[in-house]
Amino acid sequence: MNFARFSERIDGLKYLAGKMELTGSRVRRYLMQMPFSTDRDLLESHFDILQKACEILSDQKAKPFMMQLQHLFSRVHDIRGTLAALKEKRTLDEVELFEIKSFAALCADAGKLCEQAGFPYEKLYPLQEAFNILDPDKTGTVSFYIYDSYNKALSNARRQVAATDPGRDPGKWDQLQNTIQKEELAVREKLSLELSVLYPVLQENFDKLARIEIWFAKAKLAHTYNMVRPATVPGDQPGVLSVEGMINPAIAENLENAGGKFQPVSVTLYPEPCLLTGANMSGKTVVLKTLALIQALTQFSFFVPAQRASIPLVKDVFLVIGDKQDQYRGLSSFAAEMLDLDRILANMAAGTKMLVLADEPARTTNPQEGAAILCALVEYLEKYCVMSLISTHYGDLGLSCRKLRVTGFEGAQVKGRLDPLRMNSYMNYSLIEDKGGSVPLEALNIARLLGVDVSFIDTAKKYLK
Amino acid sequence: MPFTDQIIRYGSLSVVGLGKNTGKTECLRYVLDKLHQRQKVVAVTSIGIDGEGVDRVTATPKPFIFLEKGMYFTTVASYYKTKRFRAEICEVLPYETVLGKLVTARALEKGKMILAGPSDTILLQNWVREMPQNFPVDICLVDGAISRLSPASPAVTESMILAVGAAYSLNMRTLAERTRFIFDTVHLPLAGGSLRNKLESITRGIRGITDNGEITDPGVESALLPAQVREVLGKCQNRIYVPGAVSNALLKTLGEGKEVGKTELYIRDFSRIFAEPRVFYSFLRKGGRIIQLFSTRFLAVCVNPVSPQGYRLNSEELVDSIQKEVDIPVYDIKKMEG
Repeated sequence: MNFARFSERIDGLKYLAGKMELTGSRVRRYLMQMPFSTDRDLLESHFDILQKACEILSDQKAKPFMMQLQHLFSRVHDIRGTLAALKEKRTLDEVELFEIKSFAALCADAGKLCEQAGFPYEKLYPLQEAFNILDPDKTGTVSFYIYDSYNKALSNARRQVAATDPGRDPGKWDQLQNTIQKEELAVREKLSLELSVLYPVLQENFDKLARIEIWFAKAKLAHTYNMVRPATVPGDQPGVLSVEGMINPAIAENLENAGGKFQPVSVTLYPEPCLLTGANMSGKTVVLKTLALIQALTQFSFFVPAQRASIPLVKDVFLVIGDKQDQYRGLSSFAAEMLDLDRILANMAAGTKMLVLADEPARTTNPQEGAAILCALVEYLEKYCVMSLISTHYGDLGLSCRKLRVTGFEGAQVKGRLDPLRMNSYMNYSLIEDKGGSVPLEALNIARLLGVDVSFIDTAKKYLK
Repeated sequence: MPFTDQIIRYGSLSVVGLGKNTGKTECLRYVLDKLHQRQKVVAVTSIGIDGEGVDRVTATPKPFIFLEKGMYFTTVASYYKTKRFRAEICEVLPYETVLGKLVTARALEKGKMILAGPSDTILLQNWVREMPQNFPVDICLVDGAISRLSPASPAVTESMILAVGAAYSLNMRTLAERTRFIFDTVHLPLAGGSLRNKLESITRGIRGITDNGEITDPGVESALLPAQVREVLGKCQNRIYVPGAVSNALLKTLGEGKEVGKTELYIRDFSRIFAEPRVFYSFLRKGGRIIQLFSTRFLAVCVNPVSPQGYRLNSEELVDSIQKEVDIPVYDIKKMEG
C-alpha cells in the first residue's frame, strides 16, 4: 500500500499532499509511491530526520541556504529517461550527456547547501568523476558539446570542414561531415560506457534529491499546521492510541475562512470497539476522519496535527464513511458499505492488526436490521480485539462495550435561525465517557435552529413516542 | 537599417507574418544579420511546431535560420541533433513540447538551424524573460508561427515586425487593407495607468467599469455568445472589460446596442482581437471605442512580393500601396538584402 492509495481513501491526506510545496511531478511521484510503514525503528529514524528539517526551517542562520536549496530543487530535471539509458548501457546523445553533466553539478551544489544548512541526512554522493568525464578541458562550466579534445580525428575533420566551402566543394564537405558524425558517435559511445559505471550513484542521488525535498516539504507542513512528532507505541506494549488536541487541517481552514475556529478534540482508543454517539452536526464524522488521517500520517513519516499523539502501528486503516456509492458497478451505498465491512471481517479473520473507523454503519437500511448489523460488528471487533471507533445514532442496543459521547449542543437557549457555519460556536465537540446506553435526542432541535419550517417540526414532534 | 536601433532599445522582438511564406523567416534572418553586425548577443527561437525543412502546406523549402557565432537559440532536441556545426548546450528547458525536449544552445561557429521553440504564449513569455537572466543576452527574437499574431503580444515581446507577402494574397489591395487592420489594432488607444493597474490581474471572465472607475463582476464567464454580451451590457452599463478573445459576436452585439456611441470596450492587447476587420471598423464607425491595456511597438512592415507558386508582384507598387495605409516604414526585404 502506498501513499497514493491511502490518499484516495482518506481525503485529509490528499488535502495535505496538495498543500506540500513540491517542485513538480518528479518529486510528487516519489511522494505518491511512499510506502505505508509498520517498521517502528524506521519510522522513528524518519522522525529524527523530519525533526532536524523542522529545526533547520526555524533557524534564521540556515535561511539563505534553504532558499538556495529550494531554488535548486526547481532546477532538477526529470532525467529518468537518461538514467534508464545509462542503466541499459545505451549510447547517450549530446542532450542526455549535457543532462548528466548539469545534474552532477547540481548535486555538488545541493550537497554543499545541505551541509551548510546543517542537514546531515540523505548525503549526496560527490559526482565529480561524472562531471570530469564531461569536462575534458577542465573549464568547470556546465554547458556541453562534443569537445575537440575528445578525439584527434574529430578535431582534424572539424578544422578541415571549416576551411571547406560546401557550395564549391560539396563532395568533400559531405565526406568531412560524415567523418565528424562518425567520430562524434565514437566519442558518445565511449563517454556513455564510462558513465554507465556510475549509474548506481547517479540514480541514488536522483532519488535522494527528491527525498530531501520531501523532508523539507513535510517540515514546512508541520510548521504551517502546528504538527507534532507522534510517539510510536512499541509492538510489545498494549496498543493504546492516544491523541490530545487533534485538529483536522482541511476543516480547520474552512472554518477559519468563515470566521470560526476548530475546537481541538482528544481521544484515547484501546484494542477494542468503542461506540461514538452525539447529536447531529456534533462532529462525529470529523473525529473519525481526523483519527484516520493521524494514523496514516504517522505511518507515512509525517508529523501529526495534534498537541500530543501516541500511536500504535497497524497494518491497515479502514475508514468506512458510507457515502461510497458506486453506480457504475451497480452498488448502492448500503451495498458498498457491506462489501467494505466484509473486507474488514476478512482482515480480522486473518489476524491483521488494524484501525477501524466506521461512520454510522448500516444507517441506510431499516433500524431493526441496521442495529443488528451494528451489534454483530461490535461483537466481532471485540472478539478479535480490534482498535475501533464506531459512530452511531442507534440507542439502547444493550452493548457492554466502551462508549464515548460528544458533549454536544450548548445553545438550547438560542432562538431563531442559525447559520450552519455558526453552529460551531454553540457546540462542545469534546468527547466524554458515556456509561448509559441512550443517545441524545436533539435532531428536531437542530433542525429548528437550521431554520426548517416550524409547523413541520411540530408535526414531527407529534410522532415522537 | 533604421529599426535596428529600436530593436536594441526594446530588447525583444517578434517577427510575425500575415500567413505562411510571407517572408517572415527572411525578415528574421535579415534582422539577425544586422544585430550581429552591431555585435549584440542575440537569442532566437520560434513559436510552435512550424519547423519542417519543407513547408507541409505548400511544399516549398522552408528557410533555415542562419546563426552566427555566439548566438543563443532554443529548439527541440531532435532538430538540434541534426545540426552540422559546433554549438554547446547550455540548458535543457524544464518542460517538453509535443516534439520533445527543448534545448538552449550557443553557436560556437556559423551554422544553420531549424527552430521550433516553446509552443505557447505563456512559455514564450517566460523564455523572453529568462534568457537575459540566465545568459549574457542583449536581445530576444521570436519567429512567429503561421498566421498567429500571439507572439507579438506585448505580454511576450516589446516590439514587432510584420511580414506581408504575396503568399497571403496576390491582390495588393487585400494586402494593404489587412496590414492597415493590424496597424489600427496595434494603435488602439491605451487605458490610463490606474485603470490598467486594476484590470491587469484579471485574465478571465468579464468585468464592468463604473463611471468612477470601480470594477464590477457581472458573473458571466465569457463573451462569446450574443446573449452573454447583452446580459453583461444590461448589468454593467457601457464600459466593459474583456480579457479574453474579442470575437465577431462580441463586437456585433455591442454595435447593436442602443448606446453604442457611449460603449467602451477594454481589452488586454491587440493580439486578442479575432473579429473580422469589417466588424471591427463597423463598431468603431458607430462610435464605439476599443481601449487596450498594453501596446506593443510596431516597428516596420516587411513585404515579400514573391508567392510560393512563383508569382511576383511589383515590389515598388506593393511597398507604396501598403505605405499609404500605415504610418511606419515598409520595406521589401529581398531588395534590401540584394
